[in-house]
Amino acid sequence: MSTEASALQQSNLLRRVWAKPYGLISITFILLIALSALFADWVAPFDPNELDTENIFSRPRGKHYFGTDDLGRDLFSRVLHGGQIALIMAFASAAIAMIVGVIWGFIAAQFGGWLDEILMRTVDAFLAIPIILLALILIAALGTDIPILALVIGLILAPATARIARSSVLSELQLDYCNAATTLGTPRIRILFREVMPNTMPVLIARAVICAADAIIIEASLSFVGLGINPPQASWGSLVRTGYEQLFNGYWLVLFPAIFILLAIWSLNSLGDQILDALDPRSES
Amino acid sequence: MSGLLEIKDLVKHYVPEPGRIVRAVDGVNLHIEAGTTLGLVGESGSGKSTIAKLIMGLERPTSGEIKLGDKTLSELKGSELRQSRSDYQMVFQNPFDALNRRKRVLDALSLPLEIHTKLNAKERLERCLELLELVGLRREMLERYPHQMSGGQCQRVGIARALALYPKLVILDEAVSAVDVSIQAQILNLLRDLQAKLGLTYLFISHDLSIVRYMSENIAVLYRGKIAEFGGRDSLFASPRHPYTLSLMNSIPNPFNNNKLTFSTSLIDEDKLSTTKGCRFFPRCERPTRGEICITQEPTLRFIDKSLVACHFVETDQVLNSK
Amino acid sequence: MKDTLLEVKNLEIDIQRKGSTPLEAVRGVNFSLAKKERLGIVGESGSGKSLTALSIMRLLHAPYEIRGEILFNGKDLSQLKDSEMARVRAQDLGMVYQDPTSSLNPVFTVGEQIIEAIQLAEDVSDKDARDRAIKLLEEVGVTDAKNRIDEYPHQFSGGMRQRVMVAMAISTNPKLLIADEPTTALDVTTQARVIELLNRIVEERNIAVILITHDLGVASSFCDRLAVMYGGKIIEEGAIGEVIKEPLHPYSKALVNSICTMTMDVSAPISAIGGQPPTLLSIPRGCTFHPRCPVAIQSLCEVKMPILEIVSQRRKASCHLLEKSR
Repeated sequence: MSTEASALQQSNLLRRVWAKPYGLISITFILLIALSALFADWVAPFDPNELDTENIFSRPRGKHYFGTDDLGRDLFSRVLHGGQIALIMAFASAAIAMIVGVIWGFIAAQFGGWLDEILMRTVDAFLAIPIILLALILIAALGTDIPILALVIGLILAPATARIARSSVLSELQLDYCNAATTLGTPRIRILFREVMPNTMPVLIARAVICAADAIIIEASLSFVGLGINPPQASWGSLVRTGYEQLFNGYWLVLFPAIFILLAIWSLNSLGDQILDALDPRSES
Repeated sequence: MSGLLEIKDLVKHYVPEPGRIVRAVDGVNLHIEAGTTLGLVGESGSGKSTIAKLIMGLERPTSGEIKLGDKTLSELKGSELRQSRSDYQMVFQNPFDALNRRKRVLDALSLPLEIHTKLNAKERLERCLELLELVGLRREMLERYPHQMSGGQCQRVGIARALALYPKLVILDEAVSAVDVSIQAQILNLLRDLQAKLGLTYLFISHDLSIVRYMSENIAVLYRGKIAEFGGRDSLFASPRHPYTLSLMNSIPNPFNNNKLTFSTSLIDEDKLSTTKGCRFFPRCERPTRGEICITQEPTLRFIDKSLVACHFVETDQVLNSK
Repeated sequence: MKDTLLEVKNLEIDIQRKGSTPLEAVRGVNFSLAKKERLGIVGESGSGKSLTALSIMRLLHAPYEIRGEILFNGKDLSQLKDSEMARVRAQDLGMVYQDPTSSLNPVFTVGEQIIEAIQLAEDVSDKDARDRAIKLLEEVGVTDAKNRIDEYPHQFSGGMRQRVMVAMAISTNPKLLIADEPTTALDVTTQARVIELLNRIVEERNIAVILITHDLGVASSFCDRLAVMYGGKIIEEGAIGEVIKEPLHPYSKALVNSICTMTMDVSAPISAIGGQPPTLLSIPRGCTFHPRCPVAIQSLCEVKMPILEIVSQRRKASCHLLEKSR
């Protein structure tokens, strides 16, 4: 390690991300979206399912910040509630993708040999199938309730996660501290989870954040083609779908849900990038 | 003769692609007497690091036997292998890489204790403090992370960690090569003190012949997987017999006489040295009395005075009897 | 002084840090180099020796900030425009780096890289450049150069790669060659051959050399003069035989006494220097060496930085104790 590198001390990951302007903006957006979704019941001016047949397709004005839809329901409230679904999808799917993918990748990396080959060729096979097609197959097999949907999306994101987990473990195993742990008599599982894994956490966290972003867009895509959440339930994807069908009755019906999807994905992706950048030792000088 | 560590006919072949065999270690015999240091000298490709890995069980030998005391290490597997580790340990070349960058010194030193002993946290802490004192570090170092320490300090931690379980044998694999020159001297002194204090046996691996000479009572010179010469410090350095040993000694620049180094022969293209039958060193050999036999037959180790030499053209006296 | 090729005056290099004071890596280095002269710069980590060499070639960018004069053949390199500096680098300067693996581009053949170096400096046809490249490879000891010129770096061993680097560096007949730890990554026998190669080549082509190393033996077998760096400054300088056999500065003395040689006494402990080299974050006040110095006088050495004393013609050392004894 050069003297200069050790002089510039490694500081806390969060602090470094916070310090960069992009990082700050990303975190702010995510927090805003998350909070508004969490507290949708209180923040939303109207009940999302409340009909108001006198006010259908009204433009954004007054108390209807985002206008109303074909049944007079307030779009703003529907978008906020849709955020709840988006968040659930994001976190649940990301969690599933991480758990399945990390175990998958770690086992492949630790045991090597034919097990590694089988596991990784399976990853390749999954990645070769287009997402919508894969989703179709899994949904046909498993159903379309929200929890099942989260599972499906999680499984779709798991193979790429496995690859990332595996390569981060492999690069750690090359370092002497792993050899040292072995020569000290440490059992392999302990080396994997207590020595190696803490060093892979930063990469895995970045991946988790990006999984969340991917989950949102996959849900939106699936809902858009009718495989996911169906109307009248308000998810951003289903809102975009109905809005798209009624585009000429009101541009706002597509615009606002789409903007929210965009913001959420952008800030999550950006956060993931910031985390990766903050980790890269070369970015320090 | 029996010693603490006995290595018989050790062979390790790698097959990187079908059809190509890399003979990293090709029939090595070594023994180390308890309480002494055996120096293992060689360049890259000599197999010295592979031997270290084979002894420590990081790789399995293709054939051959490694015995520590009365345990045959090369036959141990699984949890038996793991448990045996308290008797023999290793210090690695790169002081920073050898420590987990996310763990403090305390964690690094506690690891072997947690695995092999039943000490509670307080007892482990005490042992860690003892270890720090042994290697000359202050107790505040326990809370430090590798990037907060210098190379020399990290290497001391590595040594302390290796000593945690009171091993009998310690392998030092280029342990001072990655450290500043002024720190090298400190660490070498420390190692010698520890050997005297704790009765340790060392296998000291290095490419630096002067350091090996300082540290070792006996020295084995390795060339491409086989021992070229083996002898006691005094006899080896007073009269080196193998042409490779001679070329090693001639290559070391002496700081106190600034002779510009010259070689009697022309430049040798290192990439054009092939391994065919016969002596491996032949393509580089500058011995005037080389002959036909060097190409056709591999020399075996023979006793010349008090050293073992593998060369056809050393003054022959006796042929080594197989033990 | 007509014979002076390079003169470095008051070289200072800082490392900028966001939200913190800059770190001082090189703190006032002065030296000169005559034509055909070979200067060795010896030091440990943190001494600033590599940065000094890189700054002569102007290879350092933000966050490094460089101040001082670097007079090469009378011209101040630090004031040249980028394009002018590029010409100087191509024609007059050559550099050999420590790690031959990472300093050769793995996706280009060895021939392409040498030819590029030649054509950057001179207007030479492809065929002529190729012929020259083949001759250069032969000169540095690559057999079958006509064929090997089209091989890739990974097809060469470490020692041979280093020779290719030397070929590249001398391809345009530079006046100054800077070698930054050129043999550190090599085996001792290969190291000897590379040094011998450098010896022969710079002798034949009248090239001045700055050799950066931590190995006094290597410096001794190649250089005419030696500068010892510690904590960002040159603390001793002189003819190499003198500096090693009769070092004046306590650090040089201690360093020379702490290295292992083939003739040292094996029964005694090595006289090691205590403590460790200073990190950039904590440079001691006063004389940088005083915390580790066996003969430091607290009231003086802790407080005041010693100046570089000229002891005799081209022999300098910076130690308060020297001043006292005069």
